[in-house]
Amino acid sequence: MNQRQWIGWGAIALTIPGAGLAIAPALGQSALPGYGLRVTSPLDAPVAADDVLTLREALELANGTLTPTELSPAEQALVEALPPGQGSQISFALPEGETTIALTDLLPEIVAPELVIDGTTQAGYDAEDTYDPKFPPAPAVTLTVAEGSEVARGLTIAADGVTVRGFSIYGFRTEDRATQTTPPSDIFVGKALPVDSSPLSLEFDLSFLEQSEDAPRGVVIEQNWLGLTADGEFPAVPSAFGVTVFNAVETTIRNNRIQYHDGSAIITGFRADGSQIAENAIIANGLAGMPDAIRLEGAIAATAITNNLICANDGSGIYLYKPEGAAQITGNDIQFNGRRFERAAVYVMGSDHQLNDNFIGYQPGPGVAVTAFPLSHRNQIRGNRYAELDGLSIDLNTQGNTGVQDFQKGDGPNPPRNSYHRRRETGNAAINAPQFDRYDFTPDAAAVTLTGTADPGSEVDLYRVNETESAYSPLAEPLGTVTTTAEGTFSASLDLPPGTRVSAIATDPEWGTSEPAAVATVLAADGTRPELPATPMERPNCSPPAPPPPPVEPPAPLAPLRLQIPRNIHFALDRSNISPESAAVLNQIAGAMLEYPFLTLELHGHTDPRASAAYNLALSERRANAARDYLIRQGVPPERMRILPFGLTQRRTQGSSRIDFARDRRVEFIFTDLRGFDIIFREQETDLQLE
Amino acid sequence: MAQAQSRVIVNQAVAQFDGPNGPVTTESNETLVGEDNTPLRIVKTADRAAAEPGDVVIYRILISNPSTRIAAPLTVTDQLPRGLRYVPNSVQTTPQQPTGQTLTDSNLTLTFAALDPGASISVAYAVLVTPDAVQGDGRNVAQAAAPGFAPVTAPFQIAVRPGIVSDCGTIVGRVFVDRNFDGQQQAGEPGVPNAVIFMDDGNRILTDPDGLFSLINVLPGYRVGTLDLYSLPGYTLAPNLYRIEENSVSRFVRLSPGGLGRMNFAVTPTFGEEQS
Repeated sequence: MNQRQWIGWGAIALTIPGAGLAIAPALGQSALPGYGLRVTSPLDAPVAADDVLTLREALELANGTLTPTELSPAEQALVEALPPGQGSQISFALPEGETTIALTDLLPEIVAPELVIDGTTQAGYDAEDTYDPKFPPAPAVTLTVAEGSEVARGLTIAADGVTVRGFSIYGFRTEDRATQTTPPSDIFVGKALPVDSSPLSLEFDLSFLEQSEDAPRGVVIEQNWLGLTADGEFPAVPSAFGVTVFNAVETTIRNNRIQYHDGSAIITGFRADGSQIAENAIIANGLAGMPDAIRLEGAIAATAITNNLICANDGSGIYLYKPEGAAQITGNDIQFNGRRFERAAVYVMGSDHQLNDNFIGYQPGPGVAVTAFPLSHRNQIRGNRYAELDGLSIDLNTQGNTGVQDFQKGDGPNPPRNSYHRRRETGNAAINAPQFDRYDFTPDAAAVTLTGTADPGSEVDLYRVNETESAYSPLAEPLGTVTTTAEGTFSASLDLPPGTRVSAIATDPEWGTSEPAAVATVLAADGTRPELPATPMERPNCSPPAPPPPPVEPPAPLAPLRLQIPRNIHFALDRSNISPESAAVLNQIAGAMLEYPFLTLELHGHTDPRASAAYNLALSERRANAARDYLIRQGVPPERMRILPFGLTQRRTQGSSRIDFARDRRVEFIFTDLRGFDIIFREQETDLQLE
Repeated sequence: MAQAQSRVIVNQAVAQFDGPNGPVTTESNETLVGEDNTPLRIVKTADRAAAEPGDVVIYRILISNPSTRIAAPLTVTDQLPRGLRYVPNSVQTTPQQPTGQTLTDSNLTLTFAALDPGASISVAYAVLVTPDAVQGDGRNVAQAAAPGFAPVTAPFQIAVRPGIVSDCGTIVGRVFVDRNFDGQQQAGEPGVPNAVIFMDDGNRILTDPDGLFSLINVLPGYRVGTLDLYSLPGYTLAPNLYRIEENSVSRFVRLSPGGLGRMNFAVTPTFGEEQS
C-alpha cells in the first residue's frame, strides 16, 4: 500500500510544475458596461446589423465583444444602457409561436459577471402554473440544436454571478468522431473546454484549473427544464449531460426539472465546492451513459443536496465518487432508481458526509452503501426512511472489499468487529451494528422494553420495519433515539402494538453510522406473534403532483388481467435497432402500459449463442435499451421499466439453425401486476428476422 | 540408356572468337556423365534435445564417403543459430585431424585433406547456450562438400527453454478519470478500480482500487493493450487535447528485454451508449 502511494505522488510531483508555469488568463472580471437587452429573434445567424437582436448578439454585447455602435438603429432600440456596476440583463420578446432558438454552433462562453438571462420574461410564461417548486412551470423559451447540426453545449458560463432562468434546454450532444469529446451538456459551468482534440480546436491552456479564484462563483441555474421539450416530451435528440459543474464554486441549481439525459443529470468535474442543489426534479437520466443521477467527483467541499426528487434514473440516485470534501444530503426523495444498473440508491465514498431525513426506496440495491476503500469515516446517516430495497438500508463495505459488486451494491451484513484492524478496512470504521438481546420481546402492561448492545458511547436510533422478507428489511420509520451506556448496553421503552418489527442503527460522532440490527419482533402479551397487515406495494411514480383536488379514480376491478399482447420482440443479427414489425409490437405493449397504471415491466435482453459472452452481454443491453427508448418515446413512464441484460445465457431454443438463432435474438417483456394477480399472455413471432 | 549406365561420357565445350589479337579458343571444364555420383553422407546429432541458457551442448557430425571416389579436399562447415556459441578448442575429430580450421562466433569450418572411399570422419564439438538463444530457433545446419560431390547438409534442432534466466519485461499502467484531458494523472484525478485491460496475447488484467496495474513476465517485443470499456460502465476514453496519439483506444509499447513499459488510460464520463 505504501508503495502504491509513492507511485502516485511521484506522478503528481512530475506533472504539476509544468502546468503551473503558464499564467492563467483573467476571466473577464474587468468592469464591462451593463445593458438591458431584449432578444427579438429566435434565429441563430452570424452577428449582423439587421432589424432583430438574436441571443448570440445579446451575449456578445454583454461580453463586450460587440458594441452597440456596430448595430443597426432598430437593434440599438432593443439595447438599453444600465448604470455602471450593474450586470447585463437579457430578456426575451420573441414573436409568438417562434420561441424556439435552434443553434447551429456553440454560443460564445459567458464572461460577463452578474449577467441575468431570464426566459421568464417572454410573453406567455405563466409563473403560477405549478403546484410544486420541484416542477417549475413550462418554460416559454426553448434553447436547442437546429436539425442536422451538432452543438456540444447550450450555455457555457465562465463568469461570476450569472443567472440562467426559465429555459427549456435540450439536444446538446456530440456525434461519434475520430476522437472522443469532452463531456457535452445543456449547461456547462466553467471556462469553455475544446470539444475534441482535432487540430481545428481552440488552443487550450489548463493552468486556470489550478487557481480557485478564477473559477466562476455564485452561478445560479433555476426554473429550467433541462433535457425535455417545453411540452414535457422526450426530445428527438436527447442531451448528453444536464448540468456539468466543471470548475466553479458556490453554484446554485434549484427548482429545475432535469429529465431524459443520456448521462448524469448533474455531474461535477474538477471543482464544485459549495454547490447547492435544491428542489429539483431529477427524473429518468443516465439512459445511455453515466447512469447515476447526481455524480459528485472532484472537489465538492460544502456541497448540499436538499429536497430534490430523484426518481427513475438508471443507476444510483447520488454517487459520490472519490470526492474531496464532504456533502450534505438532506430531505431528498430518492426512489425507483437503478433501472439499468443494480446500484445502491446513494453510494458514499469519502468522509464526513451527512445524509439526513431522506426517503430512500424502491431500489434494486442497498439504500446507502459506504465504501471500504478509499477510507470513508464519520458518515452520519440518520433520520432517513427506507422502503423496498434489495439489500441493507445502510451497507458498510468491510474487509477491504473492492470487487466489482462492492462498488455497486455493497457486500451485505458485516460480522461484528473482531479486531481493531477492521476499523481500517471497513466503511465508517467498522462501527458495530446494534444487537437486540432477543429476537422477540413481550410487552409489559403499557410498553415494551427493548434492550440490546451497541458500541459504548454511540447513539442508537430505533426504527419500525414494515416489510417481512428478511431479517434486514428496510428501516421504515424512526421511533426514537437512546444513548448506550459506558458498558455498551441500551434500553428503550416504547408503546408499540404487538406484531411490530423493530430494528436499530448506532451512530458514533467519531466513527459514523452503523449497519442496521437484525429485526426483533414485539409479541402479544400472551406470547403469540400476530401478523400485521402488509402494506400495499407502491406504484412507481415520478410525475409532477396533480392539480388539487386530485380526480377521484373509479375503483379498479380487482380481477386478474387478461392481456392479449405479445411479450417479446426480435432483432436482426448483431443489431439492436427496432424494426417496423417490432415497433408494431411495442406499440401494443405501450398501449397496455398506459392503459393499466398498475403494470410494471422488466425488459430482458437476449442474444443468440454466437460471439463472446461479454460482447453478447453488451449487445443484449443495447437491445433492451433500444426497446425501452422506444417505449419512453411512446409515453411510458421510465420509472415503471427496468432493464436486465442476459447476453447469451438464456436461449429461447435448443437448436442451431438460422430460425433458432433468430428466435434467440429477442427482448422479453416481463409484466408484473402490482395488485398481486397473475396475468394471462400469448406468445408471438410475427417480427422474426432471419439472417 | 541402359548401356550408357556403365559408360562415362566426357563432355567439353569449346568456343572460338576473333579477338583484337587474332582468333582465340577457350575450353570449358569437362563434365562427366554416367560417372559414379554417389554423394557424401552426413549425419548430425547432439547429446540432448532441449537446452536452457548456460547449458553446453555437444554436437557430433559423422561424414562418410559411400562412393568409389576420393573426396579431396573435404570441407565441413557448421552454421549455428542465434545465441549458440562455440566453446573454443573443443573440436575433436577422428580418425584424421583437420588440415585447416576457421572459427567465428557462429560459423565453424574444418578442412580435411581427403576422405577415402568407404572411410568416415567423426567430428565432435561443444556449444554454449547463451540467453539470446531464447529468441532464436535452435536449428543448426552442418554441411559437407568436396570437389565433384554435391554438397550435403544435415540439420539438427534443439528446443531452447527460457530457463531460470529470463529477459521478460514488465508493463505498468493506470486507469483514471482525466479532468483536464492531458492524459496524465494529477492530484484530484482518481483511479478507477476493477477496470479490465486486455493484452494482445489474451491476458486479462484488473486494476486495483487505486486504478493501478502491473504485469510481470511480459515477453519483449511489441505489446498492445486495450481497455475493456464494458468493465467500467458510464465511462469512456477521455480525449487527449495535447497528444493526438493518446486518443487511440489501445496503447502500443515496445518492450525491450528486461524493460519496463507503460500503458495509461484516461477515461471520462460518457453518454450516447445507445449507438449500436
